[in-house]
Amino acid sequence: MTDEEGARGAEGRDTVLEGIAGSPGLALGPAIVLDRRTGVVRRHVGNHQIEDEVERFHRAVELTAKSLGEAAERTRGSRAESSILEAYVLMVMDETLHDEVERRVRIDRLCAEWALTVATDEIAEKLSQAEDSYLAERSHDIQFVGQSILRALAGRAEPVSPFIGGREPGVLVARDLSPAETATLTKQNVLAIVTEVGTRTSHTAILARALEIPAVVGAAGALAHIGDGDVVLVDGLRGRVTLAPGVEARANAQLRAEKYRDAQKARLLLRDRPVLTRCGQAISLKGNIELPGEAVLALDQGAQGIGLYRTEFLYVNRKDLPSEDEQYETYRRVLEAVMPLPVTLRTFDIGGDKFVSSMQVPGDMNPALGLRAVRLGLARRDLFLTQLRAMVRASAHGPLRIMIPMIASVGELREVKLLLDRAIQEVDAAGHPRAPHVPLGIMVEVPSAAILADRLAPETAFMSIGTNDLVQYALAVDRSSPELAYLASFFDPAILRLIRGVIEAGAKYDRPVFVCGAMASDPLAAVLLVGMGLRELSLEASSIPDVRAGLACVTVAEAEIAAERAKDCSTASEIEGLLRETFGARMAASAESE
Amino acid sequence: MTSKGTYQVKNKLGLHARAATKLVQLASKFPCEIVVSREGQAANAKSVMGVLLLCGSKGTYLDIEATGERSDEAIKALGELIDGRFGEPE
Repeated sequence: MTDEEGARGAEGRDTVLEGIAGSPGLALGPAIVLDRRTGVVRRHVGNHQIEDEVERFHRAVELTAKSLGEAAERTRGSRAESSILEAYVLMVMDETLHDEVERRVRIDRLCAEWALTVATDEIAEKLSQAEDSYLAERSHDIQFVGQSILRALAGRAEPVSPFIGGREPGVLVARDLSPAETATLTKQNVLAIVTEVGTRTSHTAILARALEIPAVVGAAGALAHIGDGDVVLVDGLRGRVTLAPGVEARANAQLRAEKYRDAQKARLLLRDRPVLTRCGQAISLKGNIELPGEAVLALDQGAQGIGLYRTEFLYVNRKDLPSEDEQYETYRRVLEAVMPLPVTLRTFDIGGDKFVSSMQVPGDMNPALGLRAVRLGLARRDLFLTQLRAMVRASAHGPLRIMIPMIASVGELREVKLLLDRAIQEVDAAGHPRAPHVPLGIMVEVPSAAILADRLAPETAFMSIGTNDLVQYALAVDRSSPELAYLASFFDPAILRLIRGVIEAGAKYDRPVFVCGAMASDPLAAVLLVGMGLRELSLEASSIPDVRAGLACVTVAEAEIAAERAKDCSTASEIEGLLRETFGARMAASAESE
Repeated sequence: MTSKGTYQVKNKLGLHARAATKLVQLASKFPCEIVVSREGQAANAKSVMGVLLLCGSKGTYLDIEATGERSDEAIKALGELIDGRFGEPE
């Protein structure tokens, strides 16, 4: 906590834990502490105690199975967790496990807790050595099952959901939550979640957002500071937890909570409705994401799929390179989260400089114009093929499109297509399933690609215009230069002329054209793009509500007229002025009335 | 009496947790003893951990042997489950 924050604190003595805003919203309530770090009892049992010990183990098993079975029942049909829970029940009831535990009690004379820990550790160890990464992950499940039985052995009746059954709803505080535990959460029994570990994209945070339960994750020291029953204030918007909040802090939180709820209500009303212009033309707004967990957030904002999934994060901040399996698993998760809506995966758009830790690539003097994106992919084909194979494999899990960044010539596109063919052959040879057809499209962000759009169009499945780089390259403006920011406008007539050319080429060869840059996040620009003929935009999820509202107060005919008039303008500010004059007041009024 | 059958895992995820769960649930409905083995490694078909530990990925062959009451029926049902990709789309 900074000094400034402390000074602002209600009575100057509120203790605040800083964490990560895992799920938005605020909540105040008594803590329900779930502390799993119970020490395992290790003692030997005498001969006469053996039967008692075995009996005690079986009772704990029954109790655990019952509780897990009930949790599975509660979630049946509604969530993937239900099937995980059913698998847990079977694991708890497992004869192999029982035999192992009994053997250790009877022969090694270990107490039930000890025998169980040894048995589950051994099974988990064996599984974790499985070559299949999916099976290897199951070792965590075995450990969880062991923990649940341990809790039952310790006399805790509800191993999975200590907060259900007789307890008032409260703030769940834990080191971390397993899928089995989160499966039992509902808005009714949990006011908020605080975990000591986790990030915005960890399972707990994603689920909390899906359930609309406020959450702060990564709140170090939560278990040390918060006792069962302590009243805590959870601020999932700012990522902080206030212990024993004072009157002022509570009142303040109340206000912000109400404001958030109102905004939320308005947003939810819109989420599942199609985006329509005033005349009823549907416009597809898709989300741009960087991390897999953001997919759910984009859907929350009403995105009709993912139009740009940047895969760079897989490569940065690490010493090694991501394996095909790791990438496949990551892509698969996104596709499954978004099903049945489509996902456009962009191959890595990254310069050699970002890879220094994992590969040796000479640094370029001017990285934006250097060996990056598809150029790097074609220079390091092993790297590119690995990613393409992972993407092809992911296509088995939902509608997927592959998009190649920074295509500057038809030759590059042809080379990439050959590589994709090879990746598909390799995937087939390895016996992995895939979609029968994996569409390959390009980003149009290098001016040469925009100028040659009519040559590229017949050879690509779709074209997505990346306005940020297009502006940088076409106007020769460094994106990171604040002094030149005034030049870098997507309303620039030169940019619009390039975009128009791409749209015409797409129409001529019947290839869909999209925009997936910052331009699509601006309501006025979005109207202009619709007027120019586009029907699909991909944008930052947080801008979707604004763009939706903007489009709703304009008809396609009006947008087309504005786009026509924009052709007669000579500067970016003239065009922006024209749009603002025509639609600005209307958009502001609609925002007011909401 | 004893019945036997050999089946190939065809679903893309292989004998993963959900599939193993279905197999065990189905096997548990029969009174007979059922052993699943893969390349000589054997597991009790009514034990999800045992089945998981077989690490049956797509393409592997599973030998199933049932001994006792309704063993024929058990083999047939389990074979259908595996051939039917455990009810998974692919």
